Amino acid sequence: MDDDRYISKKEVLEQMGISYGQLYRWKRKGLIPEAWFTRRSTFTGQETFFPRDKILERIRQIKEMKGDHPLDDLADVITQQVNAKLQVAFERLRRLQWFDDSVLETCSIDRERSKPLTIKETLCVAVVSQLRKAARAEELDLVHRTLHERLDEGLLDRIGEERLRLHLLRKRLSGGGISAEISLVVIGPEKLILDPEIERVEDVDLGHMLERIKLDLANEAEGGSPDEAPERETEDER
Amino acid sequence: MNDDKRSASLAGAGKLSGGDYTRVSISGAGKVTGDIKAEALRISGAGKVEGRAEAIQITVSGSGAFGGEVVADEMRVSGATRIDGMARVKELKCSGSYRVRESIVSEYVKVSGVLRAGGDVEADLLKTSGGFEIEGLLSADKIEIRPGGRCYAKEIGGAKIDVRRGGYRERGILLDGLVRMFSGKGTAELRSTVIEGDEIHLEDTIADVVRGTRVEIGPGCRIKTVEYSEELQIHPNAEVGKQQKV
Repeated sequence: MDDDRYISKKEVLEQMGISYGQLYRWKRKGLIPEAWFTRRSTFTGQETFFPRDKILERIRQIKEMKGDHPLDDLADVITQQVNAKLQVAFERLRRLQWFDDSVLETCSIDRERSKPLTIKETLCVAVVSQLRKAARAEELDLVHRTLHERLDEGLLDRIGEERLRLHLLRKRLSGGGISAEISLVVIGPEKLILDPEIERVEDVDLGHMLERIKLDLANEAEGGSPDEAPERETEDER
Repeated sequence: MNDDKRSASLAGAGKLSGGDYTRVSISGAGKVTGDIKAEALRISGAGKVEGRAEAIQITVSGSGAFGGEVVADEMRVSGATRIDGMARVKELKCSGSYRVRESIVSEYVKVSGVLRAGGDVEADLLKTSGGFEIEGLLSADKIEIRPGGRCYAKEIGGAKIDVRRGGYRERGILLDGLVRMFSGKGTAELRSTVIEGDEIHLEDTIADVVRGTRVEIGPGCRIKTVEYSEELQIHPNAEVGKQQKV
């Protein structure tokens, strides 16, 4: 696999100066997510690869912190750290007016809340934000509910691998002088084959969105401003 | 329902509803409907828990079936146990047969019978002298395998991995018979695709790839590729296809 974004287990051990024993122990303690392990056949036999930036960063974190915390607690500590970073981002995103109160309301997040946002909530907020110009209120609610439920069922791990996008669609039904429009939210691959009567309102690249959130989190210094949610024509004819 | 904890004992054929108990003992053909929480759960007949079981100590000496997850500090099995979920057992000692549909998460595992897991097996220390079949990853800080029957794990990883002849040869005839019965013809060997560790000693092992810091390939091994970073020793009665210092 000569993809720069991935690194083999051997290289990880060598670069970070750790042992197989440590790596397997950390995996057992939930410090390295199962989803990061990708098995590939190479000319020397089966090998395990990891997303390079993620694994190196995580191991640095573990090495740095394992002196201060028992290994069993470290998983909690690391997730808390990630959450703390998220909160920083949350405040910054708010200042940048990346979302407004209506978005928070749609995502049922208390705007005065002190608890940090989870990565799932952040993704919901980001997606709803991006769609808020093109979509109607009830569609935003549908988007939020769809994401919220599916994210609880392990969607997060699949986003990157399956390059998932969230599509917002509308279809008009008419007959007998009455016409109605229904909205659909679909999470699937980029290219959907739809019947010709379905209108695409907008779609969001979930992987791209996640990356953007993480990039923003990694970039703790002020100034790494995320770009504004892109403007789109509103297709709101009735 | 009151919250008072009760003890229950089923001696004939009976049913027990789930709930919170101190001691539960099933010595006939008993069934627990629903989830159960107890300090001690003892099955010496044919017992079945239809839901999740959580106890400090679980003992199975007859046949025990669990419909859901099993959580315990200590579990001893000398009969046959089947778990249709995950087993989270800190200390697991099995001299009978132990089948888990999903993974086993443990600290100390000792198997002298037969163990099967549909998922991974994780522990700090694992010792086996019987047979096993693990569909996922077998991972522990220290792994000691004395094949006493057919042993298979899709992948094996840990700090110290030690596989040596022994197993059933050192045990009584009765257990030997049991192990052979469960594990087939009595070929005592270990098979795996990838074995990775810091210190590895292997005997009677068939694997595609062995990767380690210090590696000893002992008698009876057939390994396609060995990658090592510090030291490699190969016994004359071992076959190694390719070796590479990395």
